[in-house]
Amino acid sequence: MDEKRAGWLLLVTLVAQLALLGLQVPGAGGKGTFLGVLGLRVIGPFARGITGASRTIGDSTENLRFQQRLVAENRRLRHEVEDLHLRLLQFEDVRSEAARLAAALRYAPPPIGDLRAADVVYLDFSSWLTTLVIYAGGPPVKVDQVVLAPTGLVGRVVEVASPYAKVQLLTDRAASVGALIVRTRRQGVLRGAGSGTLDLEYIPIQADVRAGDRVLTAGIDGIFPRGIPVGTVVSVKQLGQLFHEIRVAPAVDLGTLDQVYLLDWKPVPKNLEEAVADGRP
Amino acid sequence: MAALRYLAALGAALLLHLIGARIHPNLPQAIDWFLPVLVLLALSGSSFAGIAGGLAAGLLQDGLTGGLYGLHGFADTVVGYATARLAQRLVIQRAVGVFAIASFASALQQVILIALSLFLLPQASVPEPFWVVVRALSTGLVGMLIYSGSDRFRKAAESHRKQRLSRLRMDATK
Repeated sequence: MDEKRAGWLLLVTLVAQLALLGLQVPGAGGKGTFLGVLGLRVIGPFARGITGASRTIGDSTENLRFQQRLVAENRRLRHEVEDLHLRLLQFEDVRSEAARLAAALRYAPPPIGDLRAADVVYLDFSSWLTTLVIYAGGPPVKVDQVVLAPTGLVGRVVEVASPYAKVQLLTDRAASVGALIVRTRRQGVLRGAGSGTLDLEYIPIQADVRAGDRVLTAGIDGIFPRGIPVGTVVSVKQLGQLFHEIRVAPAVDLGTLDQVYLLDWKPVPKNLEEAVADGRP
Repeated sequence: MAALRYLAALGAALLLHLIGARIHPNLPQAIDWFLPVLVLLALSGSSFAGIAGGLAAGLLQDGLTGGLYGLHGFADTVVGYATARLAQRLVIQRAVGVFAIASFASALQQVILIALSLFLLPQASVPEPFWVVVRALSTGLVGMLIYSGSDRFRKAAESHRKQRLSRLRMDATK
């Protein structure tokens, strides 16, 4: 092929790809695109195979290594379970009291929702295009479904190619969550800082915020329910005249995720979310 | 045959990429396994091979990342073509040359990716310069190692073939 033809071919290829990219931009907010879903469908099973194989090898070597420690660990865990049972009894007491008070005030708390486990197939949280691909058999995963780990919030589903799904991590720069500081109940918006940390924005200078404060989801964004641990404040600086610059460390160590949990709950309906103040949708 | 060999090499790169991500999620940020394969293909000097190879490698990478589908496809197509054009003008006979070209290709790819992301994504996050340099150097190193490894293998196979031929001739003269 002569160079002139190659030049034309290059031009056509690049223009076609730019057009495809342009078509995807409106969907970049997270609804997923045909090509993205196709890519996920092709690579998902391959990545799952690799993950499964490495997990099997890792598990078998770990079993051999830790066999002797299992008895001691089992004993320790039994004690822990007994301790947790006792704490659970106390919490049951507190919960029934809260339910009684709520009934007296005619307050109906929102449902917490159901959890189901999903395997992490591929994780590339460090790159600037952060990705977490999960495998969730059974009922189909939904876009915007909340993804949790035992220690807190992981992110939300942005693309589904059943049984695989792509998750936007909390630390992604395009991700944002309504959050509140537990100690003061002050609400703000938590955004991914892109470097594995989070920024808590719109907290006014007058607000009392300290390093070590725990941050939970506020349930004000229509996607994430209230009360899920998100992280801990690590530093507070003054940013301009109005707001604090607050850096938050995520509650979940995203680099060690093996399994995550999908939360089935009913978020705020879209028509209600978009409704205007005078009541017209 | 060359296309099949290239696809097999991309498959191996995909395998290494996934294993790397499994070992440590930071690893894909530091090492790009696909680009050295593309650079070595484009070093043959064929612009068509550079374009087609870049497109295939890029779209494969796009399936692994969370951004817009086609970002890597675009960048790798340009990189493949540029490397092929460069190879037409330069005579690369040493592994150090491959290191330089692969590092340059990686830097070019990342610049294109950053520019496209800033242009197309509302809140694109740009990688830290440290990781850009690390990725460029590691790509160069991997490219150089594959090149010298395959070169040695080729030479060893050639000398083995010559030895066999000369033995055959000697047997024939007896």
